Amino acid sequence: MARASIVGAGMTKFGTHADETLAELFAEAALPALDDAGAGPDEVDALYFGNTSAAISENDTHLGPKAASQIGLAGVPTQRFEDACATSATATKHAVAAIEAGLHDVVLVGGAERCTPASGLDTDEMTRVFASAASRHYEQPVGLTFPGVFALLTKRHMHEYGTTREQLAEVAVKNHHHGSLNPRAQHGMEITHEDVFDGPLIADPFHLYDCCPFSDGASAILLVSEDAADSYDSTPVDINGIGHASGGVPLSEQSAFTATRAARDAAAEAYAQADIDAGEVDFAEVHDCFTGAEILATEALGLFEDGEGGPAVADGRTALGGEVPVNPSGGLKAKGHPIGATGTAQLVELTEQLRGDAGDRQVEAPTTGAAHNLGGEAATTVVTVVEARP
Amino acid sequence: MTADEVPAYAEGTGLAHATWARALRDGVLLGQECSDCEHVLGTPKSVCPACSGRSLVTVRLPTSGEVFSETTIEVTPEGLDDRYQVAVVDLGPTRLLARVADEVEIGDPVVFDGFVQYEDLPGPRFVAEPTG
Repeated sequence: MARASIVGAGMTKFGTHADETLAELFAEAALPALDDAGAGPDEVDALYFGNTSAAISENDTHLGPKAASQIGLAGVPTQRFEDACATSATATKHAVAAIEAGLHDVVLVGGAERCTPASGLDTDEMTRVFASAASRHYEQPVGLTFPGVFALLTKRHMHEYGTTREQLAEVAVKNHHHGSLNPRAQHGMEITHEDVFDGPLIADPFHLYDCCPFSDGASAILLVSEDAADSYDSTPVDINGIGHASGGVPLSEQSAFTATRAARDAAAEAYAQADIDAGEVDFAEVHDCFTGAEILATEALGLFEDGEGGPAVADGRTALGGEVPVNPSGGLKAKGHPIGATGTAQLVELTEQLRGDAGDRQVEAPTTGAAHNLGGEAATTVVTVVEARP
Repeated sequence: MTADEVPAYAEGTGLAHATWARALRDGVLLGQECSDCEHVLGTPKSVCPACSGRSLVTVRLPTSGEVFSETTIEVTPEGLDDRYQVAVVDLGPTRLLARVADEVEIGDPVVFDGFVQYEDLPGPRFVAEPTG
């Protein structure tokens, strides 16, 4: 029994959207999602909306009603979610629960975010905004940034398992290749290992191309109950599991450190709900905010043994055509990372892949996909299992 | 790590950030030790994460440890220096994030050496342990 079904999916191209309001930007993802399903605004019972940083970066809050009003949903209940980079995955979790509980029948879920310098803040200002997800009192004063968080995790992983800079660079090269096949990716260009190593350092071991970009963008999915899904125009896909867990703050006190315990707990919960094991995952969209983060994620999801994530990417096992393609969309790395839109954008990719509609980046005949959306210093992780109908 | 060397203003249980920060500015690195399970924390909590006990006694943390992980941050937030190194320091009973002043690597010994400051909030600073 599916927990809920996705009957509509839409997203903007990720990149720069400096001339639109957040609500206008969201409309560019939400209306295609409704059109995909053949559903009008009058059929939508609620909006679950994600945005992370606009309260700080744009002095813009209470975004749910603003987004709803833009797309003809004024009047429906709406709420705004903020869980750092896992924002719209947690929105999805709650929307699924609302459908299961009979609270709502049709829920639009999505997010919109603007992080590029063109749309507001310079790099050092936006670095400060991102760092607000770290502990205000025990990490920000030390100067920890988000590249810094994943640099600490990755350097420890390199120390414990021998993960190499070449393996990290291969994550970037692979995801840029995938992104070159995705017309909505912010970075559509291929890169080489030399491009990665020649780029400026951000926080060692990460050079510029080890890091996802600042992005503007929006994404949306339309969720309904499994039974109602067949009455829409599109081919539905089923959400069969969503696991959600938190890790300790500050990062230094997380007992497992490189294991990213929250991701493992979330994955175990999602797989149990879907009654699958990691070996049944055909492909995954994971939170590759930094190259090292993808390697940690593939291990936390159980796609590879601990310490094997680096060799796996170097051997092409996670590339399109490999045994378990990871981030066929290009991932955060190449597709882009408009924070509050990333979680549902992963689900848009899963939907298109499972429908066989992903074009040049199509994974070969997948039936089961997993999304791994991480927030903060690995302090929130949501893992979602989406499957094609038999 | 002992309770009897804690400044008078921090003695007992119920360490809060304000007192932790005051002590850090005074050159004292405070933490907590759970009365029930002896779990040690470098950053104050209301409840022990290991056993859910609420009797967390304020203690002085060890002032020397070993670099558990580190990175040099080159792109920094508005209001901070252009380049600095941070480390997760393994103090033995717990780990703590700190600024480090020297070029240190995983496994290097480091010692507590005061504090850095950002937006009026202090954070611990460590340096490489002097050799010889």
